[in-house]
Amino acid sequence: MTDFELIKEYLPFLIPAVLIELALAITGVISVLRHPHYRFGNRILWLLLVIFVQPFGPLLYFFAGREVE
Amino acid sequence: MRGYALILQNELILAWRRYRLVVLALVFLLFGIEAPLVAKLTPALLKSIGQGMTITLPEPTSVMSWQQYYKNMTQIGLFVLAIVASGTVSRELNEGTLVILVAKGLRRNAVIMAKYTMALLQWVVALLLAFGVTYAYTAYYFPDELSPHPWLALWPLLWFGVLWLAIIILGSTLSKSGFTGFLLGAGVYLGLTLLNMFKAVHRFNPVSLTNDNLALLTGTKTFWSLAPAYAVTLAGAVACLALAMLVLKKRRL
Repeated sequence: MTDFELIKEYLPFLIPAVLIELALAITGVISVLRHPHYRFGNRILWLLLVIFVQPFGPLLYFFAGREVE
Repeated sequence: MRGYALILQNELILAWRRYRLVVLALVFLLFGIEAPLVAKLTPALLKSIGQGMTITLPEPTSVMSWQQYYKNMTQIGLFVLAIVASGTVSRELNEGTLVILVAKGLRRNAVIMAKYTMALLQWVVALLLAFGVTYAYTAYYFPDELSPHPWLALWPLLWFGVLWLAIIILGSTLSKSGFTGFLLGAGVYLGLTLLNMFKAVHRFNPVSLTNDNLALLTGTKTFWSLAPAYAVTLAGAVACLALAMLVLKKRRL
């Protein structure tokens, strides 16, 4: 099986997974940039976490890290 | 009763506005996709590692997919929910926001029950979302007869959430730190798991509800074989909530 066929076989898994991770990362980034204060950590840390640590970074940010007015 | 409904409504609105519901839903959808993916991928991965060797690999089955689902839900899902619920009461204590509510005549018990209901709602929705996704992929990719009872297998885990979240809410009431609920939950889980080393306890142990899902799925165990554990789980949850109410009543807000 060629690489292309292999990827194609997994597309039904990959496409939704990638879309979900993108959605999480984008909502995370927008929220981190809009709010200057956090319960702990700083902006750089949260940006790195919501972009690269999927899906736990965004989860941790929205449930524990984000400061609520 | 009116107070309970008000607080619950408020919780729902806030969770929506703070994107929490959306994020939780997305994360569990992802878990739902991951389970059948891992089942499908594992033999291919092993093959690529063992190139040149002749290993006979079992074809992936629906059971492998569900096995991964329950692994995700019990090893990650439960703890995600613990993070979700862990800060709910402690944050209010920390920020003194309950003073206003109580001064307006809301009962403290209503606070506990509303927070608990909200946590339970999130647990049920999260679990069902992931279940639905795994179910659909599994039915499509592994259409075998090996998993006759997918719904039945889910019930014990859903039911375990009743106790799990009550423990987290109790922990959250005990302290102003947002992590106490999480730690208390993790501690109890560890304790119950260790208890399960004694065979006689198994039928009564709430944690069995998170272990026996595959046996229920494949039909090697019956739903009611765990009946005592369901009862213990419910009793434990009631006790935790009663204790949480008592603690909040005595507490300075």
